[in-house]
Amino acid sequence: MQNIFARLGPDKLRQWLPLATLVILVAVVGVMQPVFLELSTLLQLASDTAVLFILATGVTFVIMLGGIDLSIQSMASLASVIVALTVARYGYGAFVLAVAVGALAGLLSGLAHVRLKVPSFIATLAMGGVLFSTALVSSKERSITLGDVDRNYQTWVTGTVFGVPNVIIIGLIVLAIAHTLQAHTRFGRYSAAIGAGEPAAYASGVKVDRQKVFAYVLSATFAALAGVILAGRLASGSPTLAAELLLPSIAAVVVGGTAITGGVGSIWRTLVGALIISVVRIGMTFLGVNIFAQNIVFGAVLIAAVAITIDRSKIPIVK
Amino acid sequence: MTATPEELASPQPRRARRWRVASWAPVMVLVLLCIIITFINPNFMTFGNLVRISQSAMIPLVLGIGATFIILMGSIDLSVEGVLTLGAVMLSMLVLNGANANDYGIVGVFIVLLTGAAVGFINGVIHVRLKVPSFMATLGTWFIGVGIANALLGGMATRINDPWIRGLAVQRFLGFPWGVWLALFCLAVALVIQNYTRLGRYIYALGGGEELAALSGISTARVRITTFTLAGIFYAVGGILAAAQLGLGNAQIGNGRLFTTITAVVVGGTSLSGGQGSVLQTLVGVLIVVVLSNGMVLMGVPPSVQIGVQGLMIIAAVALSMDRKLMRIVK
Repeated sequence: MQNIFARLGPDKLRQWLPLATLVILVAVVGVMQPVFLELSTLLQLASDTAVLFILATGVTFVIMLGGIDLSIQSMASLASVIVALTVARYGYGAFVLAVAVGALAGLLSGLAHVRLKVPSFIATLAMGGVLFSTALVSSKERSITLGDVDRNYQTWVTGTVFGVPNVIIIGLIVLAIAHTLQAHTRFGRYSAAIGAGEPAAYASGVKVDRQKVFAYVLSATFAALAGVILAGRLASGSPTLAAELLLPSIAAVVVGGTAITGGVGSIWRTLVGALIISVVRIGMTFLGVNIFAQNIVFGAVLIAAVAITIDRSKIPIVK
Repeated sequence: MTATPEELASPQPRRARRWRVASWAPVMVLVLLCIIITFINPNFMTFGNLVRISQSAMIPLVLGIGATFIILMGSIDLSVEGVLTLGAVMLSMLVLNGANANDYGIVGVFIVLLTGAAVGFINGVIHVRLKVPSFMATLGTWFIGVGIANALLGGMATRINDPWIRGLAVQRFLGFPWGVWLALFCLAVALVIQNYTRLGRYIYALGGGEELAALSGISTARVRITTFTLAGIFYAVGGILAAAQLGLGNAQIGNGRLFTTITAVVVGGTSLSGGQGSVLQTLVGVLIVVVLSNGMVLMGVPPSVQIGVQGLMIIAAVALSMDRKLMRIVK
């Protein structure tokens, strides 16, 4: 009996640790800067988190399977370039085009991973290079600012409904869709099964390859959507627009409590993780930490979170 | 022709031979590449262009050597750019420079090498002691390294005025810059470590089968940490060469180098699953990457396309070199 409690204790603790961290962080930053707890600041925080959350949601599907996607920041940047280049000609079609390119890129990296049996971090690192190169060539290596006419098409990102910024609503829609996919569909169940034990999932007749490819498609599609939103918010597109977002996105997933070994995790945890990252970022800005030097903290947080959440029984040999 | 005792003893001589052909494939690709590019643009085979190729190969070679040892163990190191950037920035602030009064010269170089070793050591300790997969541990230290470099610089760049450091890129010996000779020296050191030391043997043993290596009494934890430390030193040398070549230290000095490094190692034929490959194959891989980009420049292809080409090369090379029968699960 005691044994069970001993085992249950830390696990329960681990499950609520991210949320407790978030609450404590909000309280600490709130005490330091009371203005932080005002409604307008909190809405601003939520809007700033939306892009990070969407990126992290996509990559959550891949991490649940036990893989990784290192191409999301290049995909998001490419999507912003596509929007900036084509919105004048196609209007809203530009957004559809960008997201479609995302789905295609995800399909390609998924196929490279599954069919050619290239490990996911290498396949997506390489795909990231291809996407970055595409963005560089199509934008002629410069940042493209959206014209005034083009900005009219961005109101679905920049506008507000009853005082709530649209970008938060988009984030909530993504949350609903992703949560449904992850918790209430066969795909979600199979992903968790594959992450928990691939040979067992395979033996039970799960079409492992198909689930994996779909996860990479989702990851790249969400990344492209994040890029589209980023282009709208910053009113520009550039091949390095999202370059600084890879590490925070993966950190958000892991900090939320999704294990890098797969099988354990949820979209809710990613939401909590993304909020933690945002609050930490704001806290550091209050403290006057240089935006690039913030990577020191995120890198350390990432390693610590991986070390805490990882399921070591699943990997006898850590490579 | 009679079979040698080794061939008779080998349980699968045919597979061994096929592997030997596979290990020569990169060399053939390199030769073919040289012939094709010469055919398109005869300027390729001039001494001046040869020096240019050696200059662009020296940094990827040093970085690739470090990464080869890691990949031979079956791990991966994504902290290449972090260590290189940190090393280059620290060097630019320690030797005679345009930002502060420091002039530590060779001592500064040693401090940089020590820093590289320290970051590698930290990688190894996080990876082994906390049991964090190497790609996650090194992804973290990659950004920590670049972050520290940024914090040191505060968004500026530091010009290097030390004549010795600048001389690495400018001064020549037998027509080649000293940096190229330094890179070749690193290659020689790496070859000795790989072929004539216990560490080298242990690295192969770990990559070939870690459980077996551990059961044979090898302290796998110590080998892993030592190898990561060693790789860190090579990346720091890469940082010194990069700072010398650019003449300054800035936080963007490492951009894109991880990509070239991994491309070079896997295109050279070193298997990502570990145990197969060598630093000499990495030399071939580096030359393939550099010759290809040199050829593309000669043909007027913009440099931005090259990253994409490298990405495709990585996938192709890994797909061709993986021994898939050994692994059912690919993650």
